[in-house]
Amino acid sequence: MVAKRKKKYSTGEAAQFMTRKAALKKLQLSLNDFRHLCILKGIYPREPRNRKRAQKGQTGIKTLYHVKDIQFLLHEPIIWKLRDYKIFNKKVGRARAIRDFENLHKYLNNHPTLKLDHIVKERYPTFLDALRDLDDCLTLCFLFSTFPSLAHVPRDQSALCQRLTMEFLHAIIEAKALRKVFISIKGYYYQAEIKGETITWIVPHHFSFEPQQKSEVDFKIMSIFVEFYTILLGFVNYRLYHSLNLHYPPKFSSQSTIDDVEKNIVDEEAFVSERVSALNYPILKVTTDLIQDDVTIDNFALDEDPNKVEEAKKEAEKVKKLKTLFKGLKFFLNREVPREPLVFLIRCFGGEVSWDKVLFIGSTFDENDETITHQIIDRPSMPKQYISRYYIQPQWVFDSINARELLPVEKYFMGEVLPPHLSPFIDPERDQQYIPPEERALYDPSVLEDQYKKDENIIQEMTNAEEESNQESNVEEEKIREKETNKSKLSVSTGEVYKEVPWEKSRQERQEYKLREKMIKKKHKKLYNSMMEGRKERAKAIWLLRKKRRLHDEKKATEKVGKSRKQE
Amino acid sequence: MAVTVGKRKRVSKKSKLSWRKHSKVADIEEFLEEQREDERLGGPLDQISDDQLFTLDTKPDETLISTRQQRKLKALRPLKGFAALQPHTNVPDPIKKRNRVRTVDERRSVIVKQKELENRKKNILKAKEVNAIAERRLNEIKRENKEKPDEFLHDIWNKEVDLPIKKDQWAEPITKVHNLRNLGIPVKRTLKDLSKKKSILPAVEVPHPGMSYNPSFKDHQNLIKEIAEAELKVIKDEEHVKRVTRDIFRKVLPKQKESEWLIEMSEGLMKVKDEIDIKEEYEDLDKISVNPPVQNKKKTLKQRRKQKEQLALEKKLKAKKMEKKKIGDIHKLKVLQKHLEHMGKKQEKLQEIRKIRQEKDRIKPKTLGSTKFEDLGPDFQMGEDISGNLRGLKKEGNLLLDRFKSLQKRNILVPSKRAHKKKNKVKKYTKPGHKEDWEKTVAKTGNVAKRK
Repeated sequence: MVAKRKKKYSTGEAAQFMTRKAALKKLQLSLNDFRHLCILKGIYPREPRNRKRAQKGQTGIKTLYHVKDIQFLLHEPIIWKLRDYKIFNKKVGRARAIRDFENLHKYLNNHPTLKLDHIVKERYPTFLDALRDLDDCLTLCFLFSTFPSLAHVPRDQSALCQRLTMEFLHAIIEAKALRKVFISIKGYYYQAEIKGETITWIVPHHFSFEPQQKSEVDFKIMSIFVEFYTILLGFVNYRLYHSLNLHYPPKFSSQSTIDDVEKNIVDEEAFVSERVSALNYPILKVTTDLIQDDVTIDNFALDEDPNKVEEAKKEAEKVKKLKTLFKGLKFFLNREVPREPLVFLIRCFGGEVSWDKVLFIGSTFDENDETITHQIIDRPSMPKQYISRYYIQPQWVFDSINARELLPVEKYFMGEVLPPHLSPFIDPERDQQYIPPEERALYDPSVLEDQYKKDENIIQEMTNAEEESNQESNVEEEKIREKETNKSKLSVSTGEVYKEVPWEKSRQERQEYKLREKMIKKKHKKLYNSMMEGRKERAKAIWLLRKKRRLHDEKKATEKVGKSRKQE
Repeated sequence: MAVTVGKRKRVSKKSKLSWRKHSKVADIEEFLEEQREDERLGGPLDQISDDQLFTLDTKPDETLISTRQQRKLKALRPLKGFAALQPHTNVPDPIKKRNRVRTVDERRSVIVKQKELENRKKNILKAKEVNAIAERRLNEIKRENKEKPDEFLHDIWNKEVDLPIKKDQWAEPITKVHNLRNLGIPVKRTLKDLSKKKSILPAVEVPHPGMSYNPSFKDHQNLIKEIAEAELKVIKDEEHVKRVTRDIFRKVLPKQKESEWLIEMSEGLMKVKDEIDIKEEYEDLDKISVNPPVQNKKKTLKQRRKQKEQLALEKKLKAKKMEKKKIGDIHKLKVLQKHLEHMGKKQEKLQEIRKIRQEKDRIKPKTLGSTKFEDLGPDFQMGEDISGNLRGLKKEGNLLLDRFKSLQKRNILVPSKRAHKKKNKVKKYTKPGHKEDWEKTVAKTGNVAKRK
């Protein structure tokens, strides 16, 4: 018997892909529900290698999904919930139309809810996976927390975002996990390090809400993303709080200074939420004993480059210093200063902070407190000033954190023109570029000092050298004479102790390195070579520019010396 | 069928067929039909009293109810689906004592009913009702204790139950699934690349140093330069498109265009002068045949044989040549080897180029839908907008749009256009003071008044 004739597009790429329309048909869902489901489950359309084959010969560009992805969606219990929603909406619509309020209330009280816990677990099997994907989540949640209730953004969603983001900030404060900050024209960039994962997020500038243009962004879709991300953030918060020995939901110690009258006025929930958003109270701990999360770097990293280990150690030391950057300092925020970012930053690095009592709930001390060390101010002048404190502009806080040390305050005094606010997120390529010493000083002020010292040294050496040259000629002659007298015909030379050749070790290392280079696969060899060549070229360019600079500096120095002599 | 009218002819009604055909029952039929219709509609008209037929209209019509009220009334009506169950005539049921299925309540015995009534009076509940109350209470407690969607009361990453079967290295996967399922633990297989990122781009891109609220001069210049370069590229592309589309056509006035069109369209048609000449030519056109007649000449057998022989010879020679070439190729091995090497090198080079292109494409967003992705580019501020302090900071760029575009860039969302552009409903009406007749009447008089 002849084998059955194979139909076209029944195997291969054509069988792997499915158009969106076909997927809708298979899942029996409307387009909106399908989108909802896909976003929640993290199923995205795919690009085929050969589009025409994947579209079964159809021309044009269609949105394609993997058949396996759709089959995966098919087993999702949430699909049934989505169908329930459809029926629920119909019932509610009917009840509302005929003004049957009794049934309407009954339906609304028993509305179906999507439970997304299992999807969070499924998409992020471990806590680290979740942390890795937190950038998007945080940025969106911080953004939505500023929204009022909009067409597709219910009020409780933005309220939930607000609550969760504030809780997250508390966790960062307690863990002292913040590393970098940057004020851009778009918003505040923050970078934290949790469990070795760097998390970057953007917080919008705190202005009044600006209406969004609907034509540009699909609010419904973004709202679905936020719906998932809130759940993710909630569970991340839970885990973070528990790993820090904190109560979740956050609790505050009862003995903190707040009059009971205020406590009685508002209800318990509002009271807690306000204190959370104040960011100024430490959260109650489950146990008082400290967690040892500072990991000391082991010394026996055998196979690694010793330089790298050294660098890592230095980095760890710096981070340790950074964590207690503002410890013992007391800040007071003036009214015009954005409260939330500054309170977060100062508390993150161990400082104490307060603000005007009328401005916002949660201030801990008044302006007339004499122990205040810094007052952050963003206006050109101030009528009444205390001698005991510095009046500085807010950028000082940001720049100090990025520099990982307390910068001198002179440049940041009230009314001063500020030095540029530089980005801490510089790409690592930059150390393969020539940076003139003036620019490097902006990142590291000690460089300029060194340069200045070097210049002085050069001038001094030049003046010294001239004087010494006369003396040296005498000394050399004497030495030659001494050598001649010491020579004798018969002598027993003392045995030389075998000394290790000092460069032997480095030579060995270089040899090993070359051998290791030979182990590179042929596949990657060309890439490696071109990489190394590029590196060499760049290093050469830097060296050349440095040399030019040095010659230029020396020339200047000699001119200076010449001038000063002439004056004499 | 010819029916004679007038002359009555006696017809035999012997057979059943003829009886049916010729007996006159129309009047009886008509009477019966009328009676049945009356029955259906509720009795003959003459028997119905006037009160039943007519009503005195003393109240105004209540048709002026709002649509909302109408809808409400409509909702109270029985469902349309039940209409089929209703009787559609007024004819009473011919079977007087139709055997109806009695309801549950009717079927129950009187004694039991009596007993139940008494119990209820004494507040004695049935076991079923007692259970129901207890269960309701339990359910309420359960609902209260249920985790609300915005409450996070457990650690989802630390819920794994350690079961020996999971770790058993000798058990086959199917056995594991079977055992776990029987323990009430659903075993689901998730996609392997579910947690794999769809793009190598980071979620939050690192900001350009020139985007600082108080950037250094150099950084700011770099950023502006970048943006200017991108913009120049766009302008160049636009100009190219213009050059190859719009500019290759010359500009012509509409009048000129029309005349040109006329000339172009009448190309090949005869002018008045030519027509006369051609008419003369036409007359002797019939005599000339354009093509000579073709004859179907058959080949002779000999010719066919010769042709066949020729073909076979050709084939043979070709095969011979091939054989010869094969032997020659042995001596050409070196050349062949060189050729192969050359080809291999070419392939390698191509592969490299392809690899580089693939590497470049990894950063680009994939084509997931028919609309192309358009990047926004970094946000920037010109020098005059930068105030240098936080107080005077001007915000730039829309963060939500930035997120939206970032999702598209990372192949998570399909770039799309808005399908339905909703136009705001504008209710149009003319103010009473601005009607047209105002222009005709009042405005005119006003003019007259001005002239005066």
